[in-house]
Amino acid sequence: MEGRDDGGGKVIGLIEKATKSTAQEVDPRLLKAIKSIVRYSDSEVRLSSQTLMELMRHNHSQVRYLTLFIIDELFMRSKLFRTLIIENLDQLLSLSIGFRSNLPLPAPPAVATTLRSKAIEFLEKWNLSFGFHYKELRLGFDYLKNTLKLKFPDLQANAARIQRERQEREMKTKEILRNKFDSLRVSFGLFKYEIEVTIKEIKECMEIVQWRGDDGVPLAILDEEDFEEIRCSHLRQIRLDSLKQSEKVEETGENRIVFDVLREQCKLLVTKHLISVQEGISLLIRVDVSDNRTRDSMLKDLIDIRNNILAAKKKWEEAGFTMSRMTDIHGNEETNEEEEDIWEEDDGKVKTDSVKNVAHVMRTQQSENSSLPSSGEAKKSTSEARSNKVSNTKKVGSSGNSLRDKLISEAPVMNWGSQLTNWESTTEVRANYRGLEIESHWGRVDQDAIIPADKIAELNLQATVYREERTETPPCRASLKKGGLCQRRDLRVCPFHGPIVPRDDEGNTIIQESPLDESENQTSSTSGTNQDVSMDETTSDSDPNQLARQIAKEALKNIREKDKEVVRKRAKLVKVKVKEHNHEVLRGAAIASTSRSNAMDDEFDRVFAEKKNKKQTFSTRRKKTTAKDRISQRLFSNRVKGTNPQQLAQGNDEKCRDTSANQW
Amino acid sequence: MWKAFKDRETGRFRSNSFANRFKSRRILSLQLSNRKDFVSPHRGSVNSLQVDLTEGRYLLSGAADGSAAVFDVKRATDYEASGLIAKHKCIFTVRKQHENGHKYAISSAIWYPIDTGMFITGSFDHYVKVWDTNTSQVVVDFKMPGKVYRTAMSSMAMSHTLIAAGTDDVQVRLCDIASGAFSHTLSGHRDGVMSVEWSTSSEWVLYTGGCDGAIRFWDIRRAGCFRVLDNSQTQLGVRPPILKRPAVSSKFFSAAKSSLGDQNWLKTLQSKHTGSQSVKGSSSEKPSVEKSRQKRIHPGMLSTLDRATAHYGVVTGLKATNDGMYLLSAGSYSRIRLWDIESGRNTLVNFETGRIQTDRAIQLDTSDDPALVFVPCMKTVKGFGMWSGRTTLMLRGHYESVNTCCFNSNDQELYTSGADRQIIVWSPGGSVEDEMAQGEVAEDKDNWSD
Repeated sequence: MEGRDDGGGKVIGLIEKATKSTAQEVDPRLLKAIKSIVRYSDSEVRLSSQTLMELMRHNHSQVRYLTLFIIDELFMRSKLFRTLIIENLDQLLSLSIGFRSNLPLPAPPAVATTLRSKAIEFLEKWNLSFGFHYKELRLGFDYLKNTLKLKFPDLQANAARIQRERQEREMKTKEILRNKFDSLRVSFGLFKYEIEVTIKEIKECMEIVQWRGDDGVPLAILDEEDFEEIRCSHLRQIRLDSLKQSEKVEETGENRIVFDVLREQCKLLVTKHLISVQEGISLLIRVDVSDNRTRDSMLKDLIDIRNNILAAKKKWEEAGFTMSRMTDIHGNEETNEEEEDIWEEDDGKVKTDSVKNVAHVMRTQQSENSSLPSSGEAKKSTSEARSNKVSNTKKVGSSGNSLRDKLISEAPVMNWGSQLTNWESTTEVRANYRGLEIESHWGRVDQDAIIPADKIAELNLQATVYREERTETPPCRASLKKGGLCQRRDLRVCPFHGPIVPRDDEGNTIIQESPLDESENQTSSTSGTNQDVSMDETTSDSDPNQLARQIAKEALKNIREKDKEVVRKRAKLVKVKVKEHNHEVLRGAAIASTSRSNAMDDEFDRVFAEKKNKKQTFSTRRKKTTAKDRISQRLFSNRVKGTNPQQLAQGNDEKCRDTSANQW
Repeated sequence: MWKAFKDRETGRFRSNSFANRFKSRRILSLQLSNRKDFVSPHRGSVNSLQVDLTEGRYLLSGAADGSAAVFDVKRATDYEASGLIAKHKCIFTVRKQHENGHKYAISSAIWYPIDTGMFITGSFDHYVKVWDTNTSQVVVDFKMPGKVYRTAMSSMAMSHTLIAAGTDDVQVRLCDIASGAFSHTLSGHRDGVMSVEWSTSSEWVLYTGGCDGAIRFWDIRRAGCFRVLDNSQTQLGVRPPILKRPAVSSKFFSAAKSSLGDQNWLKTLQSKHTGSQSVKGSSSEKPSVEKSRQKRIHPGMLSTLDRATAHYGVVTGLKATNDGMYLLSAGSYSRIRLWDIESGRNTLVNFETGRIQTDRAIQLDTSDDPALVFVPCMKTVKGFGMWSGRTTLMLRGHYESVNTCCFNSNDQELYTSGADRQIIVWSPGGSVEDEMAQGEVAEDKDNWSD
């Protein structure tokens, strides 16, 4: 051995120990120990390389195998070790690969083969990483590969091959896209022309169909007038519906041909042209051509065409031209919002009405979480307009505000069911309400048999099962010394921070103040009217409510913008009040309740998420989440339990609810 | 080093000796070159290498698959690893498929010594072919009676263009390129001739070494061989130089000089007077007698002298030193012998060879300053001090036995090739450019992940 310094030779023992096992791998702990020893001392590196080379001469393949592992580990790490090993690379190779006929690998043969394959693999790896620096490695690799024709795993070549294949594939797809693009460019004019013709035909057909002079009375005006007179919202609804229907065109014998043509054209437009246009757009987006300008212009054209098609589609859907036989019906969402104004659209440009605009803006805001000044402005204006309108239309309810409020707050929440159709009706029901002639061999059938009203009421008695309300215990949110807020969730008293009080983001308690303000009044009033309506006839519809709610919300938001501090404090107070009130109501109402369905759960989650989003969007203006939010969340969850399936169906309107959701 | 520069500037050093000192330092630091690769186009063992004598730039190689290739030593064809590794691909090759390519292995490929317009290959298919380098076509070919082991042309020749070809026939033939015919047939060997070497001091003198163990000296102007080397005829070390230059002699051969007798000294002086024909016979005989007898016996030579052997076995390689005074021979039993050409004696330098291939011809090479002999010893190439016989360089890199060494004294590079098809460059290590280039790739360092 050579001169060893500080405690040298430890590595020899370790290496010998490591190579004595019969395992397939070197014990990682030993390996680590070897590495850590070798790392800090050059003499140990020398020693280890010597020892390892000696061990490689050991007449047993297992020992050589494990030794080779250690060599590889050190080889990949230490430069000195590399130079030392490479000095004897030919020896190492002949001992590990056994390519010299006079020096075959020792027994056992199974290990010998793995040793050989491993050695070949290692050699390739070494050559890849360090071949540039060591000619010896290159020579050895080259010799084994090209002269002895040993089979190397050929990692690099494989990777290169895969890479090449991928490139070829990409090239091929590019080529295909380019070809498509070329063909599209050739046929573009014709294509465009066809679509234009179709759209034109549709337009003409529509004109023919709608020609019979409609009254020209815009629905909105009628609405406003009617609201004054028609107290019963049911009647109003009927009126609305009929107005709506009058807009739609009936298919009659005389215009059947036109309808057929129209239907056909629409079908053509939707099933063929729209799809091909969309394909064309995606193609143009993906294709990579030198001629960018034509591509862009074509893309522009295509998008225009698509807009045209969509506009045309919208138009015929508005005209009530539902195509039951058609493949896709997009208009579902639109038809939900029945109180939408009818608007005429000029070519291509989709003009949405204010409601839609607001909704749109709000949606975008939710997604973007940024309040652009322009959109914010627009929203403000629209919401103001709305609130005006609401105040105009809903003057009726303003007088009975307080009474209604009280009533509403007391009203129980019912599950939706058939019994709601004849809620509190005192009419008697005929037993044979279908009017069938029923013969009974048991005797005469009383055709005029009547079931008395109280009996009906008895039959419709609604049993509710009490359900434990799912409440979310708010976190303590007291500020901690180390920063952050206390996240403990205790019901009343946090063991560390005392009673749980609403706190702001810094963890300071929020002092509560009392008086209401007009915004709150307004909301409560609007919601009061809404509730009035919905109380009367929950079954018929509650769309006006939604509108009102939305408007109310907008208004609320505007005012908040002006003086958020006041609003927040007051609102909070009101909420607290309302909460107490609600609890009372709930307690009263919850006799029993049925188990909650999954759908309801989902609904709740969705609404909750939406609400969250909204909070985020507002957070630019309102930095602090107050107790109000939490309370409203909580209340909302309560409310959702009670929401009826009808509301569920109006899935996209949830966002409108939550402003006044915390009241009964 | 900088001191040496200054000394040269001030004139304390002659620029010549400065250069020599520099070169010798480089030679002693020969190592496997990481920066220069020859991409071998050969598919068999490379049997012959030679750098052309005019420019020192083109390397000619002949291989066992019947192919010969020419490389540019100076200019690389392409680079790898961001210029770290220079790849030298062959400028052209002549293969078996070539219309007049050799059918069997090329055993010897040499340049025409005057320029690089021609080269000569000798092959086991009994042919010696002369090629035009520019068109890579055969200009002349000579059909030999047996496998050609070695061909040689005189680097000194001013008045003849003879190719000496050693074949497995007993006769050595001299092929005249000018006439396209054999001009001489030298008979004397009792077995095939493995090695042929022209004298580096006289254009008429040829040395041949045969499988019978004899090394014969021929003067092509006269019939028959004029000397057969005998390994029992010895002298210790080198002859003292005629001009007394104590500085030089003491530097190299102090030991030899001390043991050298006066007689020897005298004898060499006398042999100088007698001309190119040097003394023969034992040192105990009187010079005058010997001289007269030698003159008499030369054409036929005494049969007793004719039977002398230089090696017990085969002489596989011959190499005359560049100064023309000494001859190195490699033979069976892994012996390298250094002969004094003038006296024809074995200088008894013991070269520490390992094993040397005996079944095929090997090619030795020498460097002048320091006087080193490069000998292929199985898988390694060793550099021996010419006068000490000690191993000063041990070059390991080949994976199979090495056949040839070729020293390029212009660049102080050594090219070796062997049965593993590779042509490996050994260049002086530790030069500045090495370290500079290292910075570009710079991956070779410790990499302890944990």
